[in-house]
Amino acid sequence: MVGIGFRKDFATTLLQSPSFNPAFIEVAPENWIGVGGYWKKLFNQALEKYPLYTHGLSLSVGSPDELDLNFLQKVKTFLRDTNAQIYSEHLSYSKCDNAHLYDLLPIPFTAEAVRHVSRRIRQVQDFLERKIAIEIVSYYTPVAPELTEIAFINAILEEAGCNLLLDVNNVYVNGFNHQYDAKAFIDQLPMDKVAYIHMAGHEKVSDDLIIDTHGEAIIDPVYDLFAYTIQRLDRDVPVLLERDFNIPELDELQQEINRLQQIKNVHLKNPRYATA
Amino acid sequence: MQLPETTHQHQSALADYCRTGKYSAIPGVREQHVTQYRRLVYNVVDDMLQSAYPLTHHLLTTREWNALVQEFFSNHPCQSPQVWYMPKELFEYLSPKEHKLKNKYPFLLELLWLEWLEVELFMMEDRPAAYTTIGDISTDELVLNPEHHLQQFQYPVHLKTAKQLTPADKGGYFLVLFRKPDSGEVNFINLSPALVAMLEILQEGPQTMDALIRQCCAAWQLQLSPEIQAAAHAFITQSLDNRLIIGFKSKH
Repeated sequence: MVGIGFRKDFATTLLQSPSFNPAFIEVAPENWIGVGGYWKKLFNQALEKYPLYTHGLSLSVGSPDELDLNFLQKVKTFLRDTNAQIYSEHLSYSKCDNAHLYDLLPIPFTAEAVRHVSRRIRQVQDFLERKIAIEIVSYYTPVAPELTEIAFINAILEEAGCNLLLDVNNVYVNGFNHQYDAKAFIDQLPMDKVAYIHMAGHEKVSDDLIIDTHGEAIIDPVYDLFAYTIQRLDRDVPVLLERDFNIPELDELQQEINRLQQIKNVHLKNPRYATA
Repeated sequence: MQLPETTHQHQSALADYCRTGKYSAIPGVREQHVTQYRRLVYNVVDDMLQSAYPLTHHLLTTREWNALVQEFFSNHPCQSPQVWYMPKELFEYLSPKEHKLKNKYPFLLELLWLEWLEVELFMMEDRPAAYTTIGDISTDELVLNPEHHLQQFQYPVHLKTAKQLTPADKGGYFLVLFRKPDSGEVNFINLSPALVAMLEILQEGPQTMDALIRQCCAAWQLQLSPEIQAAAHAFITQSLDNRLIIGFKSKH
């Protein structure tokens, strides 16, 4: 099961195309809450055709600020109204000192942050009355780290009792940017907590930096890391192809979806659907 | 539940840098790469503002636009978790302030507001209305499209390009913006004060054309004449056609 991020850039084409067949769509609730008119009609058509997965942007679970419970209530209503299968968010912060930043900043890898973020994720799960999946984000610099990245992530997964959204491209990007072995990193993750996988393209902007743009096709080494991840998982989980910018013809996206599905088929001899 | 001080301070320092572009050393940060965060954050905000305010972006010089975005994002803590809604906060930020751009472009606030109204009307939640499209214009009660906004401006920002506006244009201008029910497209119509009164009466509830014209004439202390009737009929016919008047009150 491979889905696609539902972008306004290609929403109409997606709904009309007979040859583009994602298994599900994913949206950020923030982009659709309180929206009516033309986009609401299109979104409702999409919901009639595809199951919905959701991936939040603004909850800012890593923020030092208090959680925005008013916003979280809107998310809860949205998840209920759209029958969303999964709600995921980022292990990062996008709001600080009462100001939204609209991008994902890296949380300092500290024991304080582990306790704080884990508490907040538990609070979110209690409020939403569902488990959420938390995504390992790509990052371009550490910030005041006391722990390793893997220790930080695993401690939060353990203390928060949440699921993991494993963005394989992010692990590749982070491995490159911070000079570690991406496969060894994946080996250390709790595979039983992986509920959802993201795949995307990126852009290498210098000899020592890759930016997670979602604006290019997936490259072969990331497909290889995906194959490795699927083997380690040994069970089927939903996979999302993210493409947010520089959108190609849908045929090209379908080819990427086919390749992801093919890799799953090859490595899962007896595919079982079991989410964490 | 507050985060202990040290981690919070580092997070604040990074967030401040992203908002202001002024970097203060943060332990462990690779300074040659941290610039990406400032670039990414700033670009999201700049792109959203350009997208919401294309006419204002076109009016201002590049230097003025960049300075405005920088000033807004540095000084104003953005409150909306929904990035598409954030541009409204630029209008709200500028509204109460003395600002050199408002002196140079006295119509700037009105231009921003017009642009924001278009965004908000296009995006806003549906407002349900009970109506039928089958009816008789002469006898049936008319239903106003609930997805509309009546607006008064001092400058004709909806009629002239911003660069053509001069102080001599200052006056009183009325318009209605509305969302077409089928396409979701936002249209506007320039209005006379009498037509504004007519729409305000329709905002209260459905009315027949005759009742509407009579109430308007009474409000404006006008003698009902064939000319007034013909003009009102023409406006209502056009409004039914373009769906400012969405249809007729259902009889069932």
